[in-house]
Amino acid sequence: MSGINYSQMAGSKSGYGKEPSIRDLTRVSLTNLNREMYPALHVTKKEVITYYIRMAPRMLPFLHNRPLTMHRYPSGVGGEDFYEKDAPQGTPGYVELFIRYSETADREVHFVLCNNLDTLIWLANLASLELHVTLSSAATYDSPDLLLFDIDPEPPLSFDDTIDIAHTVYDRLEDAGMRSYVKTSGKKGLHIVVPLVPGYRFEEIRTFAHGMGKTIARDTEHVVAEFPHSQDPGTIFIDYLQNAHGKTMAAPYSLRATDRATISMPLAWEELKRGIRPEDFNIRTILSGSNDPWRDIFDNRQKIGR
Amino acid sequence: MAESVPATSLLEKPAQKAPVRTLVIPKPTPEEPVKTSKAGRPFWSGSITIGLVNVPVRLHTMVRDRSFSFRLLHREDGQPLRYDRVCTKDGRVVPWAETVKGYEVRKGEYVVFEPEELKAVMPESDRKIRIEKFVYYLSLDPVYFETPYILVPDRSEEAYSLLVTALQDIGRAAVGTITLRTKEYPVVVHVYGGALVLTTLRHADEVTTPHAFEELTSLPAPKESELALAKRIIGELSGDFSITDYPDHYQEAVMGLINKKLAGEKIVREEPHPEEAKELMQALQETIATLGKK
Repeated sequence: MSGINYSQMAGSKSGYGKEPSIRDLTRVSLTNLNREMYPALHVTKKEVITYYIRMAPRMLPFLHNRPLTMHRYPSGVGGEDFYEKDAPQGTPGYVELFIRYSETADREVHFVLCNNLDTLIWLANLASLELHVTLSSAATYDSPDLLLFDIDPEPPLSFDDTIDIAHTVYDRLEDAGMRSYVKTSGKKGLHIVVPLVPGYRFEEIRTFAHGMGKTIARDTEHVVAEFPHSQDPGTIFIDYLQNAHGKTMAAPYSLRATDRATISMPLAWEELKRGIRPEDFNIRTILSGSNDPWRDIFDNRQKIGR
Repeated sequence: MAESVPATSLLEKPAQKAPVRTLVIPKPTPEEPVKTSKAGRPFWSGSITIGLVNVPVRLHTMVRDRSFSFRLLHREDGQPLRYDRVCTKDGRVVPWAETVKGYEVRKGEYVVFEPEELKAVMPESDRKIRIEKFVYYLSLDPVYFETPYILVPDRSEEAYSLLVTALQDIGRAAVGTITLRTKEYPVVVHVYGGALVLTTLRHADEVTTPHAFEELTSLPAPKESELALAKRIIGELSGDFSITDYPDHYQEAVMGLINKKLAGEKIVREEPHPEEAKELMQALQETIATLGKK
């Protein structure tokens, strides 16, 4: 391709210590860096890539070996977008793949595994603003190692109400002897996740999550546990249906395709207080130095309770 | 756009060996919509005929093709290429006067037609849009829609207005036929933006039926739970349609490139400039260091 030699451009072929070129640091060839990915905030692709590079130390351990679904926005938020499970044509060699027969598609799907920094940079360069992961790892694809409760408020209920319900879910899980982790979805609601010991079937954990939802719905105003009521105004549905084969959730620290460039932000339970807003956590506000409340998630795998 | 106007020849910097390049820019398309009163000559004029009633109208084109075309040039001298009619047998260029129309019946075998013979079977344009029926506009599937035209009253404002209002009030559209040039088309006339719009329709045999695909003849019934979920997703993504949400990115990008070329910029694949990539590189160095420590 039409490469440019930076050292020549800078006129410093000899002399001072050679400036490292971007090519010394990554195998990804970066393109369209100045394209606006979030037009409302004028966030360019360069910022998106920089964001993912800075988040890599936290994201990579979580993403490791987890089949990805890319949600791509080639011309930015507001433009055309599409989901992609299959590695696109021209996927470079440093991207690890997980090949798996899909019954719904009736063919082999080549899932991308984000197992190294270059893959994360490559994904960002593809304008895959959102990264979604399955609740199981490629090694044990049929067996989930994450249990997910997805809760979204239906107006007039607010994000504050969702926070209250999340704490209720947390309490019930603690009562059942389970430690849970929470993150904003980056959109309207919250994701509550429990890391699991190996060996569960999706059906088991779905039944467990549904049961917990039913118990909470019985004792808690506004909460509904059944899908047909999930859109009733003034309710919060404890969505257990995501605990299924091939279903995905936004990865922690994944950007979301919202006007405010929000991210799906892991929070410590004591940080989850009324008054915070999903848009408080966006590409411009996240400090890479801050603590990662999900750091030990996979050191804390659990059995599901009663 | 059929025409292209050779506008400027730009010389590369003298030091470079690159040959002279001709830049060919397409004619700029007007930004403003055409004003109806000055929309130029009508494409067709005649009248809408409903039984014994005639409403004289003029037909104006409605769709402006904003796409551009590239012209093929001779790389060596930058000059446009011309297409010639070349005889496949002896390779000679054949003048128009020596050509005749033929229809291939078998490989290499043609039936030949003189212009008069074809003229004889052309449908006669009687300058009428014959309305046969009134239907609900939404009962017509868009797969049959071809080209819309605006109908403008031809000193028939009262009758035209009556038709617009009546169609609008009962929510129907008129279907019938029109002969344009050499072809008879089924058409639908509906109200759009306070005007009558005529859309030519494709004939039934021009549209493939889905049954032609075997996969589509035996689709499994979806599971109820999945269907409910799908409906929920559709519900969440529901909104009002606005065509302005869909700009033509390719057109914009190519126009941008053309303007850059005109400004004398050489187009190369974008690579990060060292200064521009500073933050990126700093982030990379820090992250690589952090990951290395682990």
